[in-house]
Amino acid sequence: MRPIMAIATTTVGEAIRRRVLLIILFIGVLLLSIIPSLSVLTARSEQSTMISTMYAVLRGTSALIAIILTIYMIPNEIERRTIYTILSKPVMRWQFLVGKFMGAVLALGLMIVLMSSVMVLLFYIFQQPSPERLLEVARQPFFYFLEMMLLAAVCIFFSTFTTPLVNFFLSIGIWGVGTVLSPLYSSIASNSGASPIMQSVAKFVTGAMPAFSNYDVKNPIINPGQVIENEQKYFIYIVLYAILYSAGLLVAGMVIFDKREV
Amino acid sequence: MRPTKGKLLGILAATFVGQMALQVGVIQDYWKKNYWSGQGFAESLSPDQTLLQLFGFREFLAGILWVRADSFFDEGNYDAVLPIIRLCTILDPKQIDIYATGMWHIAYNFTDEEQRSDRRYIPSALALGKEGSRQNPNTYELFFETGWIWYHKIDDDYHQSIKWFRQAQERVDMLPARRNLLANAYQRNNQVKEGLEHYWKLYAETAEQYEKQKDIYQLFQQKETLEQNLDTMIVRMVQRGWLAQERGEAGQRVYDTTEPFDVGFSARVIVDEPKVLRVQGTWNVLPVGTRIRIIVRDADNPNFTLAAMDWDGQNEVVLDPERDATFMQDQGFVKNRRFNKRIDMSKDPTMYPFARKSENYLVEFYYNPRSASLHVQDKFGWNGEGMTDKNFLRTDVRKEFEWIPGPKAGMFTEDWKLAERPTPPARIVYTALTLSRDQILRKGDWIDKTPMVQTSNFDASRFSVTTEDIIDVPTLRSSAPSPIAPGEVKKTGDNP
Repeated sequence: MRPIMAIATTTVGEAIRRRVLLIILFIGVLLLSIIPSLSVLTARSEQSTMISTMYAVLRGTSALIAIILTIYMIPNEIERRTIYTILSKPVMRWQFLVGKFMGAVLALGLMIVLMSSVMVLLFYIFQQPSPERLLEVARQPFFYFLEMMLLAAVCIFFSTFTTPLVNFFLSIGIWGVGTVLSPLYSSIASNSGASPIMQSVAKFVTGAMPAFSNYDVKNPIINPGQVIENEQKYFIYIVLYAILYSAGLLVAGMVIFDKREV
Repeated sequence: MRPTKGKLLGILAATFVGQMALQVGVIQDYWKKNYWSGQGFAESLSPDQTLLQLFGFREFLAGILWVRADSFFDEGNYDAVLPIIRLCTILDPKQIDIYATGMWHIAYNFTDEEQRSDRRYIPSALALGKEGSRQNPNTYELFFETGWIWYHKIDDDYHQSIKWFRQAQERVDMLPARRNLLANAYQRNNQVKEGLEHYWKLYAETAEQYEKQKDIYQLFQQKETLEQNLDTMIVRMVQRGWLAQERGEAGQRVYDTTEPFDVGFSARVIVDEPKVLRVQGTWNVLPVGTRIRIIVRDADNPNFTLAAMDWDGQNEVVLDPERDATFMQDQGFVKNRRFNKRIDMSKDPTMYPFARKSENYLVEFYYNPRSASLHVQDKFGWNGEGMTDKNFLRTDVRKEFEWIPGPKAGMFTEDWKLAERPTPPARIVYTALTLSRDQILRKGDWIDKTPMVQTSNFDASRFSVTTEDIIDVPTLRSSAPSPIAPGEVKKTGDNP
């Protein structure tokens, strides 16, 4: 466990020092701070528009950070040949991979906490909500963190056998399918009118591809008053899903990385 | 410790199966049910529309689009507003204002040169209301708005507005003053007892609240309004003989509705020019305020029925009306016991295409005492008991319906059943005159001839007036008789 933690903490340090990530973070915070002034667009639904737009910025920025942070992790180590120094020590390849993943997740967590704090602060300043409402608004970023953990696992898996550029587009594509298209595929899968081929494709996509949309639980937050039963149970399921899927991807990455010439 | 490849593949297979079981078995459906804001859309939207409403900025985009729609509205570019309304509701189905404004816009604002609205859009407005209320079941607003379109715009089939108003009442956020309207809808559906009970219920609730919070003036106002409504309604129930009828004492005394008054309806339609009709008719009711509904429609359109169309026919929002259908609705305003209206449909070919292959069009005349103004109803009664017409009184034009909530009916579940009501049928004055397509368009044999159709009892001499009518006011006739227009038959003592 010690080698994993050592690699993880080093990865966090590296991530914090990377300017490109800090710039994306800065832009994210900047966008968040502009949103309250855009709320004049809608009179009655000012609060829901404000929250949903803030969430969208938070989610988009976090995804960009997650992808850029992780796609370079392994290729950079190989390119700079620093991987030889690490692997020459009593560190297994799988420990290296898991350490890198954990470091990325920790760094992502830090950045999401920072952006969420700004978001909650702005929401408090402009809307003066009750403490319960504030807590409710602060809930969604935790699930975005889980989503980004899953995305980081996807990127790390691809980084074991692709170049960063290919990985970037692959990861963006997978994230797009898992967020924007997931409900669409799910509808096609359950639509009896769709062609059998389309249904099979849709069923495969919904079952096999990572469903990032599971973590988008903002609907009752931006539209209060909805009655949702057994929500806690759902939260447990999606945490379990993120852990299982990430673990699966890491294991697949280990199998590939173990065979790779470095 | 170096894990073996076999172990790793085993773990990989286990995690893959595990995540798939979780996703397909539990998470997917739960998420769609509770967290997807596009819930209920997938079946009715095209894939591109579904895509749009899945993007993260949809609420914000909807806001921007709605502002754009506002500028189109100000410019009078109503057609451009329509797709934006749909797009906004797809992007953010929780924006109640967009649904409410959209429904109103679709139902009321597409008008012809003479400010008659295009009623072919009404089913779309109602479908938007249905969708909006499904998407926003926590608030009364879209239930009320949908009920209002039935009550005010369609002004018929009042059991429909009752259903929607009842659903609105179940929502706690409904404004107190708006709750009263259900009593009116009950009365218009000839459910007088239910109307009274509703007033009593509201009064009891308001009085109780007022006792607790006497400093709230709004409660005092509401209590006073309800008191007044109750007073007026009870007086009407007595004067119109409703109470006596309920007690089986109808024949014992004379009430305002006791001797049905013959309205003496007759009508004539002249095609002055292509698509320009002159509609004339008689209605022997002297007090001002009667409006005879006049409808020109395709004779064979399966979506149309007697003086109406299948208003409730759309369950999914389709904003394009049936382009080749013609359905014009106007009103003949009665003064001096006759109506005379020029209906020009020639300037709006898209609204009145007269394009169907059928050769015939109907000009329908419809008078439902349930929609009549109160002072007319005081003589005719809630259901036209005090009204008759020896030629055109019909009891088969509208069936008596009511919506009955099923065992599962609740705030979030639709379980209503439409049942026929075993009550006296609506007494409606109705007739239809037929014109051929050639006659309306003044084509073929009708280029040089003026087509004219009329009821057999139509007396043309009552329409030989050339000067502007002066309205006879019955209460002044005894002291200062109004000039009687030439050709008019003077009658006394036979008016309500």
